[in-house]
Amino acid sequence: MTVLETERLTKQFGGLTAVDEVNLNIEQGEGVSLIGPNGAGKSTFINLVTRRLEPTHGEITFQGNSILGLDPHEVVQMGMSKSFQTASIFPELTVKENATIAALAAEHGSFRFNFFRNQNSYPEVEELANEVLESVGLYSERENQADSLDYGNKRRLELGIALAAEPDMLLMDEPTAGMSPDETKSTVELIKRVKQELDLTFLLVEHDMEIVFDISDRIVVLNRGSVIAKGTPDEVQDDPAVQEAYLGGVEE
Amino acid sequence: MRWGESGVTLLADILTILLNGLQQGAIYVLLAVGLSIILGTLKFVNFAHGALYLLGAYLGLFITGQVPLNNGQLAEWGIQSYGIGLGFIAALIIVPIVVFVIGLLMERFVAQAFYDRPDTDQILVTFGLAIIVQELLRALLGGSSQPFPQPSWASGPIALPVVGNFPRWRLGVIAITAVLVLGVYGLVEYTDFGLIVQAGTLDGEMVRLLGIKLSRPYLVVFGIGAALAGVAGVVGGPLANVNPNIGTEQLVPAFLTVVIGGVGKIEGAVVAGLMLGTLQVLLIQTGYAAWSQVGIYALAAIILLVRPQGLLGSEVDVS
Amino acid sequence: MSDEPRDATATAAADADAEVTGGLADRWASFRDREISTVLLTVVGVAVFPFLFNNFLDGYTQLATLMLIYGIFAVGFDILLGYTGLLSFGHAVFFGGAAYAAGIFSASVSSSPLLVLLAGTAFAVLLAWIVGFLSLRRGGIYFAILTLTFGQMSFYLAASPLAFLTNGENGFTSVDIGHLLGVIDIHGGVPFPLTMLVDNMLYVFVAVMTVLSVAMANRILHSPYGTVFRAIRENERRAEFVGLDVWRYKLMAFIISAAFAGIAGSLFAIEGNYVPLESLYWTESGRIVIMTVLGGVGSLFGPLFGAGLYLYIENIVSGFPTLGPFWHLILGVVFVVAVVVFPDGIWGGIDYVRDKVAGGEDK
Repeated sequence: MTVLETERLTKQFGGLTAVDEVNLNIEQGEGVSLIGPNGAGKSTFINLVTRRLEPTHGEITFQGNSILGLDPHEVVQMGMSKSFQTASIFPELTVKENATIAALAAEHGSFRFNFFRNQNSYPEVEELANEVLESVGLYSERENQADSLDYGNKRRLELGIALAAEPDMLLMDEPTAGMSPDETKSTVELIKRVKQELDLTFLLVEHDMEIVFDISDRIVVLNRGSVIAKGTPDEVQDDPAVQEAYLGGVEE
Repeated sequence: MRWGESGVTLLADILTILLNGLQQGAIYVLLAVGLSIILGTLKFVNFAHGALYLLGAYLGLFITGQVPLNNGQLAEWGIQSYGIGLGFIAALIIVPIVVFVIGLLMERFVAQAFYDRPDTDQILVTFGLAIIVQELLRALLGGSSQPFPQPSWASGPIALPVVGNFPRWRLGVIAITAVLVLGVYGLVEYTDFGLIVQAGTLDGEMVRLLGIKLSRPYLVVFGIGAALAGVAGVVGGPLANVNPNIGTEQLVPAFLTVVIGGVGKIEGAVVAGLMLGTLQVLLIQTGYAAWSQVGIYALAAIILLVRPQGLLGSEVDVS
Repeated sequence: MSDEPRDATATAAADADAEVTGGLADRWASFRDREISTVLLTVVGVAVFPFLFNNFLDGYTQLATLMLIYGIFAVGFDILLGYTGLLSFGHAVFFGGAAYAAGIFSASVSSSPLLVLLAGTAFAVLLAWIVGFLSLRRGGIYFAILTLTFGQMSFYLAASPLAFLTNGENGFTSVDIGHLLGVIDIHGGVPFPLTMLVDNMLYVFVAVMTVLSVAMANRILHSPYGTVFRAIRENERRAEFVGLDVWRYKLMAFIISAAFAGIAGSLFAIEGNYVPLESLYWTESGRIVIMTVLGGVGSLFGPLFGAGLYLYIENIVSGFPTLGPFWHLILGVVFVVAVVVFPDGIWGGIDYVRDKVAGGEDK
């Protein structure tokens, strides 16, 4: 079954075409990586899919339904979650409260008219928050302010927040950026484990080729807004167009 | 009555409304241009901009003539008047220089510390500064209104073709505003300084990578913006009485002018200021004086709701 | 952390002092966290306040009443500014608007204080729904300026086009307040046992409303909304991307804060039997900003404290020799110092010192 599909998706900024007629489809349970040199349009593509940007034309369907015209939170509620490039958490709240927010959104939907009900009257929210923290190994840190976590743990917390609602699909924008080798390793392990346990479908944007080849089922290569290659890691590695794009474009 | 005659009267009416609108809008424009370049380039929200206008007006009074003190602490302490009596032209030259320096000090000691803090904090701290300036003046000089005499060479009416008699000073306000705004526009659009400032607005990081220091141009931008507010105080003073509240009163329409025109756009501030001024005068002269203030806020609200980036503002990025 | 089991043998005599303070602080914290204790604290606070204020701080009951009214306003404003992170410069429109609505209602529909209060508050809520709907489309400075714009528009509307309703620049003078529940004269004295604490009924009425307001605010802040509001303040984009409808929650924060402004505004009209036009001017919006920030954003009692402090300086300090004429200047300076040095306000400063003294809390 196809989870995400884009059809001739295009975004122009003034005269510049950042994403050019991109067709992409991701099947249930698949781990797909989006790679490409700087300025290839990866971030723009992610922003289009998460509905932060309005496409110039083209179609995006998620679980068979068009998501054009929806707000970002509606897309999240449909089951598409996102992990940000920098650890995007709620810094001055406790680790537990961070998880609670995600649990609230997962259990109660995008909005509820319940401002006179005590938070304690929702044990299922509390339970889910605890589960999330346990699954990313931060339960013992729950009373600490999120800001006080080290960078690797912040990223784990963020991943936990993104996974709280058990999404059908997770978008990850450079999940290991800025991490030490140890932190990177444990994050990759975490992603692999989660993928297996939840049968998670994901779309990964990543610069680190080692990680990309390690965890992707399929790779899509963007250059100047267009798809220049797609296929299994092995196929993509040998593709002359890809080598051209990476080696011909940037000389170091 | 012949048609030709009533046609001329109508034309005269329209021109009078336009001229009065220009004059009314001129003060908004002077304030808004400074506010707008500071907001556009430095991303700094200055709620103390009205206080700089207020300072300009009182400094103008001080330099121009002798002002008797009737109430306030200075009067209590036995000082009967203040002023050095150098005349209006002196005020027009000295005030912007002094307020320019005040602007520099403000940038160094207040704004800089808040560039990286949220808009909310910038608004709060400058709002506090505005209160300090306003209340210091009120405590020392008293809260009552002072007449700001028009310069003698510009008082009385001047005979204009078609329009007929028009107050000379109002024409002066329009002329001074035009010269100043054109000057700033030229500076930003056609000089190296302006080029650096514009580039810094678009991508400060890149400009720094090219080895250009932005802190000095930013300092100057702040100073120029402040100086414009100071001049506005001198120019606007003779149009109405001067009291400690005029700063906060002018701040709100000035901000509206900025956001209606589009943040950082000098042309936008001019268009928006003239629009608000003309609308206000039009409502007054057509017998809807009661609605004149409501009108400008309603117009502002409508424009902002339909076109949030302002008339000449460009679509801002999603973040 | 204090909830980790302590090794009993390690409790040397030298540690005893710290243990006692830590234990007390813990007990205090758990007491404070319970809803009923917050309400009880507020009841005790408003009950003893006039006595202390009148006898030791040169105060008088009318000012104490006004402090509570503005306290309610500030508590609501803090839900918006301190918890949700939205700075409105137009909240006078809800305070003044409710005052006018309450006044006009009392003069032309019913003079029952409770109905008047309800009418004023309902008006504020309705108005907030419209103003919030229009102002919340853009964040940051645009929100501040749009709220300011709607605030000023309402001031000028009341000043002249609507003068037939509002009595224009003279303010609304025909407020007509009847007896509470038909029997209690709200502007009269109090029966015996109460006389030991306070000398008029109006204070009692406002105090009861204050306790109710604090209880409501406390309930809201401990509901899921409290957590969501703070999440929006901390990281709006992330809140949107966990699947929360940030826009609707912001609108709710706006409406809730306006409801408190509405209660306060209605009480203001009842208290003074008069609504000044200035209650709609933007400097009134500025006053509530100062009160809230001064007292401490992001805490329940901070804004109450800030409102009291502001009015104390405005009404009592202003009568002091030498210092008096500079009262407003002093407020401005204290405000700027608070913004620069104590972002959590004076209440936040007290909290910080108390945590230091209690020790162990590494917040």
